Amino acid sequence: MDLAHPDHRARLDELAAQYALGTLRGRARDRFTRAAHADPHIAAVAREWERRLALLASAVPAVNPPPRVWTAIATRLGLEGVRGAGLAWWQRLGFWRGFAIASFAAALVLSGITLMQPPATPGESLVAVLAGPDAKPVMVATAALDQSVLTLKAVADVTPGPGRVFELWALPEGAAPRSLGVIAPAGVVKVRLRGPSGEALARVPALAVSLEPTGGSPTGQPTGPVLYSGRVERLY
Amino acid sequence: MAPGSPDSSERSARLAALISRVAMADQRAFEALYGLTSAHLYAVALRIVKEPSAAEEILQEAYVSVWHHAGSYDAARSQPITWLVSIVRNRCLDQLRRRDLDTVSLTTEDEDAPELDIPDEGPSPAELLLRGAEAHSVRECVETLDGGQKQAIALAFYQGLSHAELARHMKQPLGTIKSWVRRGLERLKRCLDAAGYAR
Repeated sequence: MDLAHPDHRARLDELAAQYALGTLRGRARDRFTRAAHADPHIAAVAREWERRLALLASAVPAVNPPPRVWTAIATRLGLEGVRGAGLAWWQRLGFWRGFAIASFAAALVLSGITLMQPPATPGESLVAVLAGPDAKPVMVATAALDQSVLTLKAVADVTPGPGRVFELWALPEGAAPRSLGVIAPAGVVKVRLRGPSGEALARVPALAVSLEPTGGSPTGQPTGPVLYSGRVERLY
Repeated sequence: MAPGSPDSSERSARLAALISRVAMADQRAFEALYGLTSAHLYAVALRIVKEPSAAEEILQEAYVSVWHHAGSYDAARSQPITWLVSIVRNRCLDQLRRRDLDTVSLTTEDEDAPELDIPDEGPSPAELLLRGAEAHSVRECVETLDGGQKQAIALAFYQGLSHAELARHMKQPLGTIKSWVRRGLERLKRCLDAAGYAR
């Protein structure tokens, strides 16, 4: 059957739809693929269907592939000097590298904090020590697991500069950063979470602070440089 | 994301620019493209082939293919993300088919086939269908589908189920499934095209 013939328009449309949806299988799929390669009209009808269904495809929640996938691709293609430069900053390996040093510094700071400020409720809590690239702690975030408040305490003297603010971000696993709000650079700041921290930060391995224009990021994602970051640790 | 919204068209323009640089063997552009799209494509593959190792393999093959064939991408003809998703979905379907061939001698009759493994973690395919339709008019179109049509299309699209697998999973005769899928797609097309999503 000559699918491209005007008489077969309905049949072509149906096959293209099944092709794009994926229900066209086996040899029928092969035949259709060959026909589409050979005939630009058939290819165009198939693309139309891919486009229509793509309107529905944006909903799949993103999942970060393991880093070995990129390594395998780069190796197979013989790419040089691949350092993951294209990855979003929170996915980059280097972004996590400072943590080993930071956690040592964190331990020092934490012992000080707990002495000064014993948690109001005994029990488990989350702690993150936010540090810059030099691993020097700048802010400490703590939250009791059953409380919806994250307490942020500045432990170094830092200012965002005129016309700029600090914005705090949760960095969920396999998803884009989520803003926790604009924060004051000094003293103690209470940040309200959308639920008890044990749930609100359950799959959030790290927090970060970026530099944003007054009022916070206009896009809902970090736009300025990430100044400080720290891994979320669970304390018992 | 609604087509034509500033966010989606800006993103599309950026991806298209990266792909055209990849066509000229620009490694940095390729890395950037991977960084921006791999989490979405991996999620799409994972939903269809289910096993992470198979999804990783598909992602790898897909990007190797993108590197080699970026020159054949035509921005005038399709959105970059549509093009990329199609590459991944086609590889997933090939993979499912190879798997079917491996098991065909064991299960020639539908009744003997093993229970389908539809993961219940995360949003269901039908929820995804509605969620995907972020734009109001697209969602309205999805909602014009009957329950069976909606579920069959969602399972086929997000989980890569064939007609026979849909029939087994939804406990309906094959003929009913085929007509649900066909009529559902027809209705979707009429509605989307009428809502101005036709090219």
